[in-house]
Amino acid sequence: MSTDFETVRDVFASHYFLFAFLASLGTLQIAVANSGTRGLWLTPRRLVTRWLGVALILTGIAIFFLQPLWIEGPWAGGSVEADSISREWGQARWGELAAARNVNDIHGGLDGTKQAIWFPLAAILAFVVSAMIGALNIRILNRGELDRSETRSSLNADGLAGLEKHSYFATLPVSLRKFRADIGGVWRAGLRTADRWSLFKIIFDRSSN
Amino acid sequence: MSSIDADLVIWLNGLSGNVKVFDDLMRLVASDYLMPLAFSLAMFGLWFSGKNPAERVRYQITMLIAISALSLSNVVVWLINISWDRPRPFVEHGDELNLLFYSPTDPSFPANPVAVGFAAAAAAWSINHKFGWWMFAAASLFGLSRLYAGVFYPTDIVGGAVVGIAVFIFTSYLRRFLEPLITSFVRLIRGLSAA
Repeated sequence: MSTDFETVRDVFASHYFLFAFLASLGTLQIAVANSGTRGLWLTPRRLVTRWLGVALILTGIAIFFLQPLWIEGPWAGGSVEADSISREWGQARWGELAAARNVNDIHGGLDGTKQAIWFPLAAILAFVVSAMIGALNIRILNRGELDRSETRSSLNADGLAGLEKHSYFATLPVSLRKFRADIGGVWRAGLRTADRWSLFKIIFDRSSN
Repeated sequence: MSSIDADLVIWLNGLSGNVKVFDDLMRLVASDYLMPLAFSLAMFGLWFSGKNPAERVRYQITMLIAISALSLSNVVVWLINISWDRPRPFVEHGDELNLLFYSPTDPSFPANPVAVGFAAAAAAWSINHKFGWWMFAAASLFGLSRLYAGVFYPTDIVGGAVVGIAVFIFTSYLRRFLEPLITSFVRLIRGLSAA
């Protein structure tokens, strides 16, 4: 089997993406469970959501680092000791598992730049999945739990504050409407209070003069 | 100084090879994927962690500064690398070291992964001291694992930590030149219901 670096990089990228996605989803669940952002919960209960988050992170770590046991890659045959170029293609044994993922980026491992591309994509996907399942949660499973009068009074909240009582899809139009209404004021207030060395303050003050 | 540096890495790396489980644990911690992802996840989690809108905005602006600091610390490490190509410990003392990691080809000083870890930890510390100390501990463990593996000198780790923290402080200072762009950007993300 090929040990072509591009092939190795593809293997790493797909495995890393799954790892980053599961871990991001888990982290998001812990964070939103703690902050009460119900619209992003994967389950209707805070405690279950939090522990599901922990489980997702551990699953991501386990899958990524155990995968060489059952998926072929550049980590076989007892040649994993500190050399990433001379490794054979195949499956790793238990004894060499800890070193299996230690492959230099010039030999097909993922460098920092590639990780900086894959991680945000995985994190965005985790947010999208949480928003979709959270919407189902609020619509179907959580209907009885939320106080209707409280829900109605918070209908005006935007951003993550809106997600505390509403689904992403219910909050998005409110958030967009408020953004369009507020952004001019936010920008002008920011310009007024900005440091005198602010590039934008310098540019806009000059253009208004 | 250089001799103490070499002695320390040889001594610490000399502890390897005795307990395989511990060596394997250090290999995992030293991996290019575990700790860097942990730092990224910490920042991702902090983005969503504020208990009220004001706290969230403070966390989110700090996380934007942190992301910029991570990128900038890579640039600073690269600039130092092109001015001083310090050989790795396994190149200079290969016969005295038991290398537990692949052989990196970039210069040893300063430790790039440690710089990134300390920049993220400094960002976390600036908004939540308790969580920040845990992040500093994780970044230090990451550096220690690379030292144990024989791919960095202790001064590379210290240099990386200094670069990471200094770049975060510098990037926080730079924010004043870019306002109100940063606050407006966070407002935009809030308009998409993600902040």
